[in-house]
Amino acid sequence: MTKRSRRGGLASSDRLGGYGFVSPAVLLVAGLLYLPFLYTVYLGFTDYDGLYPASFVGLENFRRFLEDPALTTSVRNTLMWAVGATVIPVGLGLLIAVLSYGIRGGAIYRLPFMLPYALSGAGLAVIWGFILQSGGAANDVLGALGLPGATMRFLVEEPANTIAMIIALTWQQAGVNALLFLVGLQSIPKEPQEAARLDGATGWRLFRHVTWPLLAPLTTVVVGLSLVASLKTFDIVWVTTQGGPGRNSETLAVTMYRDAFVSAEYGYGAAVAFALSLVTGAVSFMYLRRQMSASKEGIV
Amino acid sequence: MSLGGIMRRAVLIVLGLLWLLPTYLLLVNAVRPATEYDSDHIWTPSGFGFFDNVRIAWDAAQLGESIGSTALYAVVSPMAGVIVGALAGYAIVVLRLRAGFWWFMLIFGGTIFPTQMLLIPLFLGYSSNLLYDTRSGLILIYAAVCVPLAAFVLRNFFTGIAYTLYEAARTDGASSWRIFWRIYLPMSLPALGAVFILEFTFIWNDLLFGLTLSQSESVRPIMTAVSSLSSAYGGKSIPVVLAAGLFISLPTILLFLLTQRLFARGLALGQY
Repeated sequence: MTKRSRRGGLASSDRLGGYGFVSPAVLLVAGLLYLPFLYTVYLGFTDYDGLYPASFVGLENFRRFLEDPALTTSVRNTLMWAVGATVIPVGLGLLIAVLSYGIRGGAIYRLPFMLPYALSGAGLAVIWGFILQSGGAANDVLGALGLPGATMRFLVEEPANTIAMIIALTWQQAGVNALLFLVGLQSIPKEPQEAARLDGATGWRLFRHVTWPLLAPLTTVVVGLSLVASLKTFDIVWVTTQGGPGRNSETLAVTMYRDAFVSAEYGYGAAVAFALSLVTGAVSFMYLRRQMSASKEGIV
Repeated sequence: MSLGGIMRRAVLIVLGLLWLLPTYLLLVNAVRPATEYDSDHIWTPSGFGFFDNVRIAWDAAQLGESIGSTALYAVVSPMAGVIVGALAGYAIVVLRLRAGFWWFMLIFGGTIFPTQMLLIPLFLGYSSNLLYDTRSGLILIYAAVCVPLAAFVLRNFFTGIAYTLYEAARTDGASSWRIFWRIYLPMSLPALGAVFILEFTFIWNDLLFGLTLSQSESVRPIMTAVSSLSSAYGGKSIPVVLAAGLFISLPTILLFLLTQRLFARGLALGQY
């Protein structure tokens, strides 16, 4: 156990052996994650199209990127996803968790929200493609309730198609966010809430002044996770609308995929991917820092 | 019951019913025989044709082969990934690798790259090395993606095991390789299982790698197959597409129901 035995002959041969144990992980990660990442960064500064050798074009892709009208739409949609697919599912998840926490049969009340989470992204897209089709279930419901939108072609018109898909994602994600908040509610200290309750605080005031501040670190984490995931939205858009019609529901992730693998413009696609990962990287970094402090406080 | 309690339940019930509407539509129309489908009557059930619908989808998109391949990817890759990750965690924590923290950061750093940043080089590299559209190619990339999380969880897990255990085994003459397989790996089965389940779900649901790195019906993963099914079909065959969407979600629905809590905790660390 002492320092001496760690430095002894036994331990130092272990240490050499240690490189053998760690190398499969390092090789896999370096070869299939780091190397492609670096190569994408490089390609973003070239005009590689898969046929002719790549030549260096400097910032040309990024300049073109700023002038591309499809890109303006794509950035707008991505921002809509980032805000909508974060605020709505996290807000509803929090609401469901707080309302169902501590009441008898809470798990049963939560069940309707949990079922959609287990569906795959492609499964989700298939269902909502069916619900949102023109003259489909969404139109029926809005018509029956006398709300506007009974004749709206949800998957065709922009930005309705993006909003509709955000609602689809909300339907899937609210439950798992509720589950995360529930774990948080169970692990925050009980004393402050008891004390506040003794002082006569109930309902909204108890939540606003006691529970919410205690949940804040966890909320940061949940918001961060949703934000990073929604910035990279691909599956549901690709399967439901393929980014169309006329590229009007594309997100940056879809634009990147289309440019690279449909148009074979690898250089340009790599530049879009690079821009996308700069944004997600910045967001991840900000929330990871918060997550560190949250885990220090023992919340997560 | 207090007024507040009634209000809470009322809000939950209204929201819950709203949430059940799509679930209801999915179930009713996925079990409806394909021939009975009529876009003006989607709200009322008619007949039971779920298995026929799945069979039609199965034949049209050759789901059987895709499901077989996907099951292979979703089992073999996380298994390889967690063992490779566990080996790294073992080397760093138990064998006290020099500069272990930096090795760990190098491996765990693999989680920060968005999938989009990997696709083009992987596609180009796979194409020129005969890995494109092969099962081994997909197993390889899925395994690599599993490694960082496994190393993270297992490193934490091994930190909690007393070092004397290792020393005692060494004194008894066991090699560090043997100690890993006989003592440390069996001890960490619960942690390995948790990582395995998360990675299984990730791979089963993956669309992007499958879309980019495979093409043929026997290699492409299930989500890719179903997404092609949904774009190729229209009108009358909606029950077929819905049945397929539901059918391929069954493994993850089952896993989720069995391990809800685990999902919630694992999600916080396994989002990438």
